[in-house]
Amino acid sequence: MFPQLVLYLATVCGAAALYLLMPKPGRDLRVIGGLLGAATLGGLWLVLLPLYLMKGGPLGGGGTVGLHTGFDGAQLPFYYAFSAVGIVSAVRVITHTRPVYAALWFVMVVIASAGLMLTLAAEFMALAMVIIYGGAILVTYMFVIMLATPPQAENEDGMTPDYDRVASEPLWAAVAGFLMLAVILSVVFMPMAPNQAARLPDDAVLQASTFTGRAIVDELKYSTPSGAMAPDSEATGTIRNVEHVGLDLFRSHPLAIELAGIILLLALIGAVVIAKTRVDGADADAAPERMDVGPVEPSAPAG
Amino acid sequence: MLLALSSPMLSHYLLTGAVLFMLGLVGFISRRNMIQMFLCTEMMFQGVVVSLVAFSAFHGNVTGQTFVIFVLTIAAAEAALALGLVVLLFRHRRTLDASAWSALNG
Repeated sequence: MFPQLVLYLATVCGAAALYLLMPKPGRDLRVIGGLLGAATLGGLWLVLLPLYLMKGGPLGGGGTVGLHTGFDGAQLPFYYAFSAVGIVSAVRVITHTRPVYAALWFVMVVIASAGLMLTLAAEFMALAMVIIYGGAILVTYMFVIMLATPPQAENEDGMTPDYDRVASEPLWAAVAGFLMLAVILSVVFMPMAPNQAARLPDDAVLQASTFTGRAIVDELKYSTPSGAMAPDSEATGTIRNVEHVGLDLFRSHPLAIELAGIILLLALIGAVVIAKTRVDGADADAAPERMDVGPVEPSAPAG
Repeated sequence: MLLALSSPMLSHYLLTGAVLFMLGLVGFISRRNMIQMFLCTEMMFQGVVVSLVAFSAFHGNVTGQTFVIFVLTIAAAEAALALGLVVLLFRHRRTLDASAWSALNG
């Protein structure tokens, strides 16, 4: 079947590109890998776009030429832009030899996927993603990278340690990953139909059953940053994304919320226990290496 | 108002999600720095999240987006525990190399 063949070809090219991009000893082939990867991505999209989206394309079965995306047209370029940024940044995350830069490229991945969610009209998820991942989790990573830098990392000519410069088994990793991707892609591009039974009730219906009496209780008027009044959801009969998610979260998943709270509490306790663990001899080992850094505080059990 | 995504466009979003997941998997297998390995698990979460939100738009049901909140919860808990473990392991061996612990292979 022709479209699947295109996908498998792109998968093989992508695997080769990723293998070339991996940090390895020997000749530096990363430019070739980067070009091959970019060509793969661009080629895939240039083929996918006419094959699947243009109704007049080879597989479109006639009809009018045009996009049928569910979008109002202008959003489609943003999918390609954010997706390209996300994939390129993700490649840089796993090929960069310095963990700090890898973490910064990961911020780029988060921002790109937040952009993808914006094109899907999921504003709350996009903002939560940026705040939690780009803000909280990445700061934690940065702290750990600084805490756990080996003293010999800043040795001669700023070389990173050996385990950062040489990937282990890049070939088999690329083969395994892209084999999985090929399996996924063999299913992903089959035509699918949405589950009509899962569709939420109409906004107006939900509105009527949800917000009765709210206007009395809640006299707060929303305003946008520009100062203009946002259309009130009760007046327009539509519900915002945040309200949708909040309603579904607290109506349909109350038990899951409790479980999530327990998981967070357990993680909190576990992190404290891990941090308080004494490591025999670790501080004795570290002492001579740390001597030249500066005056060492005499107290403070590590952790 | 939920966006009604068409089937080809859903496929595109799933492609992006799958590629992100796969890159995270490849990175987890091939990187040797423990911090970077856990960064790659976060990237796998990103791929799953993109797929979930795309399915949410496709089926016209916000449950997919609700699940993302729980994914974020697990990711935060996992980051806290994993990074604590990384610091602990670093204090044992003074290196972030995962193969320093290959004696655990048995």
